[in-house]
Amino acid sequence: MGDIIGDYRQLYITYWRCQLLEKNTELHEKFWEIFNKQDRHKVDEFKAYMDKFAVNFNLYKDGNFIEQSLPFDVVPRIISKEEFAKIDKGLQQRVKALNLFLEDLYTDAKIVKEGIVPETFVKEAGGYLKEFVGFSPSQKIRAHINGIDLVKNSVDDEWVILEDNLRVPSGASYPLSIRDTYRKIYPDFFESLKIEPIKDYPSFISESMNYVNTGGINVVLTPGRFNSAYYEHSYLAEKSGAQLVRPHELKVVDKKVYFKNYNGKLIRVGSIYRRTDDEFLDPKFFNPESLIGVPGLVEAYLAGNVALMNAIGNGVADDKGIYYFVPKMIKYYLGEEPILKNAPTYLPYFEEDRKYIFDNMDKLVIKDVAEAGGYGVLFGHEMTELQMKDLKTIIKANPRRFIAQELIEFYDEKCYLKKELQNRKADFRAYVVMAEDIKVWQCGLTRYALEEGNYLVNSSQGGGFKDTWVMEL
Amino acid sequence: MTEQLVTANVATNLYWLGRNLERAKQTLYNISKAYDLIIDVDKDAGVKLYKNFDIELKYKNAVDFLRQAILGEHSANIQEITENARESAIICRHRIDSEAFGEIIELRALFSNLAKNDVEIDYKLIDHAHSLISEIWGALGKREHNNKSDLFIRMGKLVEEADFRLRFKKDKAITITVMEEIDAIVQVLSDDNEATEQTQSQASDEPDLITLVNTKIHQIIVE
Repeated sequence: MGDIIGDYRQLYITYWRCQLLEKNTELHEKFWEIFNKQDRHKVDEFKAYMDKFAVNFNLYKDGNFIEQSLPFDVVPRIISKEEFAKIDKGLQQRVKALNLFLEDLYTDAKIVKEGIVPETFVKEAGGYLKEFVGFSPSQKIRAHINGIDLVKNSVDDEWVILEDNLRVPSGASYPLSIRDTYRKIYPDFFESLKIEPIKDYPSFISESMNYVNTGGINVVLTPGRFNSAYYEHSYLAEKSGAQLVRPHELKVVDKKVYFKNYNGKLIRVGSIYRRTDDEFLDPKFFNPESLIGVPGLVEAYLAGNVALMNAIGNGVADDKGIYYFVPKMIKYYLGEEPILKNAPTYLPYFEEDRKYIFDNMDKLVIKDVAEAGGYGVLFGHEMTELQMKDLKTIIKANPRRFIAQELIEFYDEKCYLKKELQNRKADFRAYVVMAEDIKVWQCGLTRYALEEGNYLVNSSQGGGFKDTWVMEL
Repeated sequence: MTEQLVTANVATNLYWLGRNLERAKQTLYNISKAYDLIIDVDKDAGVKLYKNFDIELKYKNAVDFLRQAILGEHSANIQEITENARESAIICRHRIDSEAFGEIIELRALFSNLAKNDVEIDYKLIDHAHSLISEIWGALGKREHNNKSDLFIRMGKLVEEADFRLRFKKDKAITITVMEEIDAIVQVLSDDNEATEQTQSQASDEPDLITLVNTKIHQIIVE
């Protein structure tokens, strides 16, 4: 009898897991048709090529600097061109509204005055910098390069926005590298299938840099060789035609920023794609201990003599609490209904929402708004009664610090790992770049979780990445 | 010549990339020659070779000579030279050919795996390393010296070549030709900085040539 129950249970789990795997379409079949004809040894060749060209993710562990390859998978995520067109439209709408929100917030703050976003919510957001109120950057663009995280819900087959990254979103060089490798090792796919080319991403960046440039050259500012994303800084500088600089290779004189050439000549800088967080950007303005900042940079920025990508103070729009209000921003600024939905979100700050969260905690995901990279995420269904009780006490004491979301059962993607096909939960980071127009890159970073059933896909949690193909028949 | 901006850090690393690649090539070539002599002609050929580098090398036999030369604890250790080349390549990756970058990563991996796995070192390894270095120079030369980045690498290569020629007391006329090429590169890289005088006409003896070249490089690259 026990065995029969066990068999049924196993059957149910298998059925349930199949439901979570993204639906096979004609596009997927076309991929598998070619993939199944390939020599499996080519997967090793693929890995060797990626290792050789050092797609590394640097990290410090126990005080030691470690260079490690980021795990990756050769099976791409496939999104139809038609489906991506809706994502494209939705992301353009969202980024446009977010940029208007930031510009409004730091100038007239009408959205706050009209009560759409509560004032206390803004002021308590970690990334809000009141010192920048009244300043409007070049071309009124603040959200130049944006990484928007989405998942595809297995319940209704719809894409859902999970997070907006408007500060220093990283990761775009990984799909560029894996695509480059793919084209070399498996050219058949690109000859036979209609896959959107992706090489234009660095040109999006240079277009944006040129558009906001205040007069001078474009540079990519990296904290240096030992930063976790140095590879990406170097790659994007090379491909976008900008100079790669470390902080002390820039000099501020009379509120103007200069690039120090090897021969000592100073060359005026008009636009900086900075890969450093606000708090470390200028030791004269922010953290005086920062060794990776450029002294005087903020003064030059506020004088309108240099453009910074992304703008200082964007962290407020990244805040998980502010995320809740993005659909309202779209309606407020654009008079439109959001094309892409947020995950159903509750703010314990509001009494009604708090009651719902406390009554349904076992079904929700609780997120600490101050954390990122998969940290500070608690799954109600994994918590004990005692843990939930403790969490409720913490939430009551500081409701602004948390948000709660319905658990989205997002799709698994097929991955070819350890020489067999396995299912892994996968999200998708789309890159949206703003210049005169807003452009959505026809690719993105698909990240998959380390283990089956795990919802955390972040590289800091051991997750890997794969290519994303926007395809048509 | 295409005008190109290069930071002092990148310029220095391009220069040292050229030097370390050439140093690895020249050292491997000399190791290969000494190894052949140690087998049955001159047991001390390795000792004599390393005297040129001011290193007192000890080994039991020809195979042990290879291990000591490549992985031994001294400043002409090939593993360290290739490690330094890789580090420079990572720093100035955006200024070098991507194929060359990949080959440099492979070259370093070849020697670091050797140290990790304690495998026997033989002539095949040296041949393989030589081929990789040739491929790297081939890839780096693809752009035919169109910009200043390439000239910094080229200058590093030539300075190292001149250094070897002087250490091994090679034909002076050819050494002067190498120096002339270094001078020509120095002129281009100096741009409108003060004109530099020709190196070979200023130096009275050979070791001074390298000192002069180094002085000029420090004048060109302003930290």
